[in-house]
Amino acid sequence: MLKESLTRFRFLLSGKTHREVDEELQFHLEQQVQANISAGMLPQEARRHAVIAFGGIERARENCRERRPSYFIETLLQDIRYSLRGLRRSPSFTVTVVLTLMLGIGATTAVFSVVDRILFRSLPYSHADRLVSVGLIAPIQQQEFMLGGSYYEWRDNQTPFESLTSEIGVNPCDLTEERPARLDCAGVEATFLPTLGVSPLLGRNFTKEEDRPNAPRVALISYPLWLRRFNGDPGVLNKLIHLDGQPARIIGVLPKDFEMPTLEAADVVVPEALDEAAQRKGDPGRPMYGFARLKPGVSIPQAKAAMGPEFDYSLRLAPPMFRKEVHLQVRSLRDRQVHDVRLTAWILLGVVLAVLLIACANVSNLLMARGAGRDRELAVRSALGASRARLVRQALTESIVLSIAGSVAGSTFAVLLLRVFIAIAPEGIPFLSKAQIDTRIMLFTLLLSLVCGVIFGLVPALSRPRAEALAGRTSMTSSHAVLRQSLVVVQIMASMMLLVAGTLLFRSFWNLQNQRLGMHTESVVTATLSLGQKDYPTPERQMAFFQQLARQLRYGPGIRLLAMSDSLPPGGYHHDQIYAPIVVEGKPRKKGGTGGLVTWRWVTPDYFRVLDIPILQGPGFTEDELSSKDHFIVLSRSLASRLFPDQDPIGQRLQLSGGGTDDPWYRVTGVAADVKNSGLTGEDEPEYYRLRRNASADWDGRSSIVVKTSLPTDAVQRWIHSQVASLDPTEPVDIETLSERVSKLADQPRFQTVLVAFFAVTGLVLAVIGLYGVISFLVVQRTQEIGVRMALGASRMAILRLVLGKSLRLIIWGTSLGLLAALAASRVLSSLLFSIGPHDPVTFGIVTLLLFLVALLATLIPAGSATKVNPIVALRCD
Amino acid sequence: MPPSSDLLQGTLDLLILKTLALESMHGWGIAQRIQQVSKDALQIGQGSLYPALHRLEYKGWIRSEWGASENNRKAKFYSLSPAGKKQLADELKDWDRLITAIALVLKQV
Repeated sequence: MLKESLTRFRFLLSGKTHREVDEELQFHLEQQVQANISAGMLPQEARRHAVIAFGGIERARENCRERRPSYFIETLLQDIRYSLRGLRRSPSFTVTVVLTLMLGIGATTAVFSVVDRILFRSLPYSHADRLVSVGLIAPIQQQEFMLGGSYYEWRDNQTPFESLTSEIGVNPCDLTEERPARLDCAGVEATFLPTLGVSPLLGRNFTKEEDRPNAPRVALISYPLWLRRFNGDPGVLNKLIHLDGQPARIIGVLPKDFEMPTLEAADVVVPEALDEAAQRKGDPGRPMYGFARLKPGVSIPQAKAAMGPEFDYSLRLAPPMFRKEVHLQVRSLRDRQVHDVRLTAWILLGVVLAVLLIACANVSNLLMARGAGRDRELAVRSALGASRARLVRQALTESIVLSIAGSVAGSTFAVLLLRVFIAIAPEGIPFLSKAQIDTRIMLFTLLLSLVCGVIFGLVPALSRPRAEALAGRTSMTSSHAVLRQSLVVVQIMASMMLLVAGTLLFRSFWNLQNQRLGMHTESVVTATLSLGQKDYPTPERQMAFFQQLARQLRYGPGIRLLAMSDSLPPGGYHHDQIYAPIVVEGKPRKKGGTGGLVTWRWVTPDYFRVLDIPILQGPGFTEDELSSKDHFIVLSRSLASRLFPDQDPIGQRLQLSGGGTDDPWYRVTGVAADVKNSGLTGEDEPEYYRLRRNASADWDGRSSIVVKTSLPTDAVQRWIHSQVASLDPTEPVDIETLSERVSKLADQPRFQTVLVAFFAVTGLVLAVIGLYGVISFLVVQRTQEIGVRMALGASRMAILRLVLGKSLRLIIWGTSLGLLAALAASRVLSSLLFSIGPHDPVTFGIVTLLLFLVALLATLIPAGSATKVNPIVALRCD
Repeated sequence: MPPSSDLLQGTLDLLILKTLALESMHGWGIAQRIQQVSKDALQIGQGSLYPALHRLEYKGWIRSEWGASENNRKAKFYSLSPAGKKQLADELKDWDRLITAIALVLKQV
């Protein structure tokens, strides 16, 4: 057996030599001659007959050669050599094709590798497809959540899940040891890790008993923390660490790929240690997040239906005003993780596929043009005995060589493009920074390029070389002409759609950037601090720190005004409350509904002047009120007009949380103009400002210092930094100008716009190249015809009309089909658009006109050269 | 006229293997033997004989070596390898099955 394999292998390498075959055939012939002589023929006659009977020696030789196992590889190498030689001879063609493929494949691969991590990555949990996020949806929060008052009832009575578990979120915690560090601690239930199917790399999960309020504290640490702080020492188990001053025993190390289902970073996982009995009675109880594993065979809608009774229980607990606005949510973990980037991801994928389509159409067009130009060569080769299959193989080899070159260039381009994506991408797109071109994506690229090469190479390859081609009369096969022209129409159509998407996003971004914020961001510098629990455990200490910092900064160089607030418009973190519990003195309580959300902030008196927010009525906050025992409030115009539709709000009194006896009264001292407060795209919420007095009750560990400066902002930023460091060098401080903060909010739309615009322009360029190629090829093919027409008296204008008419038809078809397709498809974009409709007539008008003009320009060059055809030269050639 | 085109696909391989099962032979001999045994009904042209021989050799079913012919000329002799013997047995079985099946159909209809 082994010997046979060896034999076969030997033949694969060498095969029989020509001489061997010749000798064998020669022997056969001699034998025939001998036989003929024996039959009585004269030697000469015998030889003649033998040769006739033998048939074509050359053909027999070829046939034998084709049996060689290495024949396939030999011809393949031959084809490749031939292709390379041919490609070297027409460098502009080769470069165009490779560049086109590079753009198409590179863009697709880069985007796919980003989108892949978002949409298709496998979650690091066992059977992640059965994991769901379970909870209530209420106007307070975007994501579903649970409340302690309902959760235990749900957990004990639910039927559709194998298990339901909870976590109470990730919070900063301090490692108070020799080398203190600020960490992120996640509080989870004892069943949390088992439900996700995560088992610790080292050690064990904590037990139910350890997940009680007064149990000895235990902790699981993350893999990175284990490496970073404990050098991956397996002896870390049972070590004590001090978290926020309290000792906790390390009982396990989490697996390397562990992540919280909410994708929050967590260094330490600790028991949530909730008092179950107290939570059950709690109203509403501790906010938490619920995750569950579906029983096998139970679908998400079935699970949602089965949770009906539990949901009804929670509804009965909810305050009446909430009931209509609370919903049950059960959705896959993946949906929860990608909810707001999913659309962007799909749109990007669609956009690059359109670019790829255009690129492939271009390559195909170029290959076809090349094929048509080589009609005569093919005919000659076929006449010399090349079989049809051989010719097709040769053409295919050429297109595959091209697509491999394209995919190599494309992968390089993809790596570069991916770097650019990561560099310009805003924070908050999950996993973007981890996106990379891996083997799977490489395969995807290779597949793409092969599909491009084979499908689009096959079309020209299958064309039968015609005998007429030998005569040298070049004429275009009509079926090819139709195919190539429809490819151009498709290209124009696709680039029309891309351009519409790009322009819509661009105009939307423009609106976003140029909207009125209600404040002035110029020369305002902000410094945000979040004081650690360890050094600043009480509100008194926190207040003392901030007030000391404010005193140091207030009279510094170039500081014109200074204020403090715990949050800043127009987006990001701020307090929210429900409108309904706000009670106006002397008015009945509001009934029905929650009334939506109201934004509020703690501010100091100069806040409005620093941000240049006009006070429309009343005096606003004054310095005297800072030391008052009373509470003061400033309303935004929209909140004032809602609370006091036909009254002067100044001097009125409000209670903010339902009007109990211990709910303090706030006196309205001003009405401020509305300020954008729900991000750049969100609907504005009514807002109020509470005065942050010199009383510790008004303070917490978080505050932003805002200053208006007359100096360049970067100098002020450095100065603030040094002042904070002089007070406490360990406190991290986030210093940036208000303009930077605002601009950051536009990062995501900017990212979308830049990408889509880039691809739209790429697509347009490719489509224009394609159109140019087709029209100029058409002109070259018809040179003779044009010569005849001119000789017969056609004017240059008539020739121009002839050529332009042809391309105009293509352009009109492409743009009108593209218009229809874009109208149908642009609706997908509507949720990404800001104060512009998906069918914005201006956008559609501009794009149609632009595309039309650019396409027309692309055809003017070949059309112009058609009019310069010299009839005598044209008629003489061939 | 190449008679091999009348042969069923793959039958030539079977004939060659069967012929070589008796003794090792050169190409001419194989063609002559098949012609004789079939009483001139089957004539194997060199155009199909040698490619087939080479194919079988590349597959490892037959072996070749140079030797001296009856009239003392240098000729290439083919012989059956162990794998070729097995292949012949398999193909004979297949052939029998095919013949039986065809015969059944022909008798029936």
